[in-house]
Amino acid sequence: MLKRHFREFSVLGVLLCVLALMGVFAPDFFAPQPLLSRLTAAAPKLVVACGIAVVMVGRQIDISVGSLFAVCSVVCGLVAAAKLPLPLAVASAVAAGAIGGALNGALVAGLRLPSIVVTLATMVTLREGLRLAQQGVFIDLPDGLQWIGLPMIGGQYLVCGIAITVLVAMAAVMRHLAIGRAVHAVGSDAEAARLAGIRPRLVTFGVFVLTGALTGLAAVMNVVQSPQVDPNTGRMLELEAIAAAVVGGVAVSGGRGNLGGVLVGFLLLACITPALTYIGVKPYWDKAIQGTVILLAVVADGLRNRKNGR
Amino acid sequence: MFRSFALFLCLGFVLLTGCSKSGPDTGASPSGGTPAGKRLTIAFMPKSKGNGYFVSCKQGADQAAKDLGAELIFDGPVSPDPAKQNEIIENWITLGVDVIAVACENKDGISTALKRAKDKGIKVVTFDSDAEPAARDFFVNQATPEGIGNALMDEAARLCGGTGEFAIITASLTAQNMIEWQKYIEARRMAKHPGMKMVALRPCDDLKDKAQAEATTLLGAYPDLKLLMNICSPAVPGAAEAVKQAGKAGKVKVIGLGLPNENRRYLKDGTTDTVILWKTVDLGYLTVQAAAALAKGELKAGATSFKGGKLGEFRIVGDNILLGEPFKFTKENIDQFDF
Amino acid sequence: MLLRHETVLLAVLVVELVFFGVAGRNFGTADNIANIVRHSVEIGLLALVMMPVVLAGGIDLSVGSTLGLCAVLFGKLWRDGGLPWEVAAVATLGIGAAAGGTNALLITALRLPPLIVTLGTYSLFRGLAEAITRGTDAFTRFPPSFLFLGTGRVAGIPAQAWIFALVAAAMWLLVHRTTFGRSWRAIGFAPEGARYAGLPVGRRLAFAHVLAGIVAALAAITYTARFGTAKADAGTGYELAAITAVVLGGTSIFGGVGSVHGTLLGVAAIAVLGNGLSRVPATMSNAGELSGLLTGMLLVLALAGGAVPKWFAERRPR
Repeated sequence: MLKRHFREFSVLGVLLCVLALMGVFAPDFFAPQPLLSRLTAAAPKLVVACGIAVVMVGRQIDISVGSLFAVCSVVCGLVAAAKLPLPLAVASAVAAGAIGGALNGALVAGLRLPSIVVTLATMVTLREGLRLAQQGVFIDLPDGLQWIGLPMIGGQYLVCGIAITVLVAMAAVMRHLAIGRAVHAVGSDAEAARLAGIRPRLVTFGVFVLTGALTGLAAVMNVVQSPQVDPNTGRMLELEAIAAAVVGGVAVSGGRGNLGGVLVGFLLLACITPALTYIGVKPYWDKAIQGTVILLAVVADGLRNRKNGR
Repeated sequence: MFRSFALFLCLGFVLLTGCSKSGPDTGASPSGGTPAGKRLTIAFMPKSKGNGYFVSCKQGADQAAKDLGAELIFDGPVSPDPAKQNEIIENWITLGVDVIAVACENKDGISTALKRAKDKGIKVVTFDSDAEPAARDFFVNQATPEGIGNALMDEAARLCGGTGEFAIITASLTAQNMIEWQKYIEARRMAKHPGMKMVALRPCDDLKDKAQAEATTLLGAYPDLKLLMNICSPAVPGAAEAVKQAGKAGKVKVIGLGLPNENRRYLKDGTTDTVILWKTVDLGYLTVQAAAALAKGELKAGATSFKGGKLGEFRIVGDNILLGEPFKFTKENIDQFDF
Repeated sequence: MLLRHETVLLAVLVVELVFFGVAGRNFGTADNIANIVRHSVEIGLLALVMMPVVLAGGIDLSVGSTLGLCAVLFGKLWRDGGLPWEVAAVATLGIGAAAGGTNALLITALRLPPLIVTLGTYSLFRGLAEAITRGTDAFTRFPPSFLFLGTGRVAGIPAQAWIFALVAAAMWLLVHRTTFGRSWRAIGFAPEGARYAGLPVGRRLAFAHVLAGIVAALAAITYTARFGTAKADAGTGYELAAITAVVLGGTSIFGGVGSVHGTLLGVAAIAVLGNGLSRVPATMSNAGELSGLLTGMLLVLALAGGAVPKWFAERRPR
């Protein structure tokens, strides 16, 4: 167990160290209500990271999720602002995400184009298209949309609950269902998977659609947290999600990774910036520390691989 | 393969050198005056595109261009690259525009490009944030960095009763104009409000959602915080929402530079106390009017007043055209504004 | 028969030049061509050294941050260190080499994936630049002899274009005429195969990353000379622009296939598009957005152009 999941446990160790330090130097860090608020604000990122992790297990990558997140947020906002029913707003955001994902998937799986290039192209195209259409003007949402009409605490538990449900469901699917195994198989060796009766291109297409739909869901989870939609939202989200996945042990080369690791990686990266604020570190150290943590997490793995002579 | 490479290099150099004889045929006339009958081309640059603040400036600019029958080009950086403004200005120089109006992101960096424009006979007006005085003809002054800094700090001290902790949320640590505002905020604090203490400065990447998250963290990390000062426009509603959700509305004050529409609900429910801004639509309108008058030779150095189209007379002090004092939007007056 | 990627791209570039030459205002003037060149030197330099990294099957997301770090340290050495700018510039190249060397060490000695390593250093280098300047310090008022590099002309051609041409020629020779180029190609095509064939895979990869660092430092110098100011945000987002140019230029992101002249064409196609759109009356107010949008589409089309015939060929009954 420890040997097989060395990376996940080493990241968990770093996370626990950070938390322990916070417990000593800034116990306020764990005050329940602010903690819940911070987790709720970060929860959509976890959902996106889950999608990214599945894409990476299938040996692809998707850097368009940040732009897609903004598009889905605006779609959700516009539908809601048009006084259409709430479920329709949610459904249209998820559908917009799925369509965006399907576009990526069709280009990657259908035409066998490299995913990093395809999603680089959709990233700029969606972002600039949205800027042309919306010009950065905020969308005011109707009153009932925030927290889906629930009291705030209820809404926060709901958002966090959805994130955890998505994580657990994806973990179960990836581990126990044939389709999850198929993603692993395609990521490890597409040709072997094909010979074993799996249709690799269909799997790849499906993975992109899923990531798109999860991005749409994440957008809704973010939109309900405030009464306005900022169309510039989601900038750099792709890098944060990829960082969470790789720190959590998902291999860029495909075939390896589990969602428990993604959770740990996500928590570690999500708590660093607030932790620095709590202990009063100047903001100009943020990026350097963030980068160092990412490197440390992977260097531990690299040193071990080297020792094992792999 | 070598042949294709050599061909490509040759092509490049031919393009570079060969075209030098075919000079511009519709460029700006070097004297600065524009021949009667030719449509005036005004190039208008925001600090960045996709920003609600500059979209409202553009409304006024479009209106003014329509009133004047001039051609308006509205373009600016879409990426956070500070050198991008220079590139666009250099492109406008060779495009042959008559006058450039620009809100400067980086005072030192942009001035070299603006000076080059002036050397080519193109008139230059700055608005929103100034360049070096030598690099432009007039500055449409809605507020100086000093004026903004003083107004924010005085308002903060007034709301806190002169003592207490406050934190600043900015767009990015490297945004030049915000660095300048912070400088004046700090100078004012030292001089006039020593009881106030700035405990933290956090960047929000000019994103509302990130500002909300940063404000939530600040509220938790600094329980004695009395005020959040937000110096980029998406941060004001973001911080207000965080304060509201933390149940600290009224206990932690929220002020900042922002747009009325984005802050209306928070001003009305009392979460946000004061939003400081100027009439951005008028700023865009006046800037384009001034730019046009300058290009036509109607506005000259040394003038003491300027008639800005339908907006009437504006005072000129030195080479600053004064839009008027920054305006404070509060619960009481917010309903009179829609932008 | 499939057309060569570079030929298609050259055709795209010619179409752009002709279209903007006709529809654009003052597009074909010498001053404007000089502008296009001056504005694309930094991204062009980064693309030129990104190319071998990608050719060898890797990627470098940190070049933009390396540019920012080097710009700031160059300013620091010149202003605070009191060095003449020439000396500071040489030292900066060394700093760039060290930054590239950090990537190289992590990637080759620890066998870590380049995407993750450079994602980490992307954050780290930018973070160091911000930490050194506290985000706020800007270096400016450089001597005219230095600014000449970014604003002056030599024999009618922008000064930095000569630097760029020199680097481009050197890179072309290195990639297409030496064993280095061949080994990068081999490593990208089949890393294990290259190892078994006796190539020093680690050293060759390390060389590509160190080279990327040095040239990113050079780009930091031309950037500072052109803009006149060095700040921690210099070069933000340039890594993606460089990768876009490399891939548009026909280098396979999986490695093994690619050419330097293709990369140059990619840089030129993107630069001309952006400049041209700001000169056509119908698009001049949306040039920023449209050039991003159309570059994205062009990228997909360029790749799909090669893939669609293959797609049909696979479906032809055999």
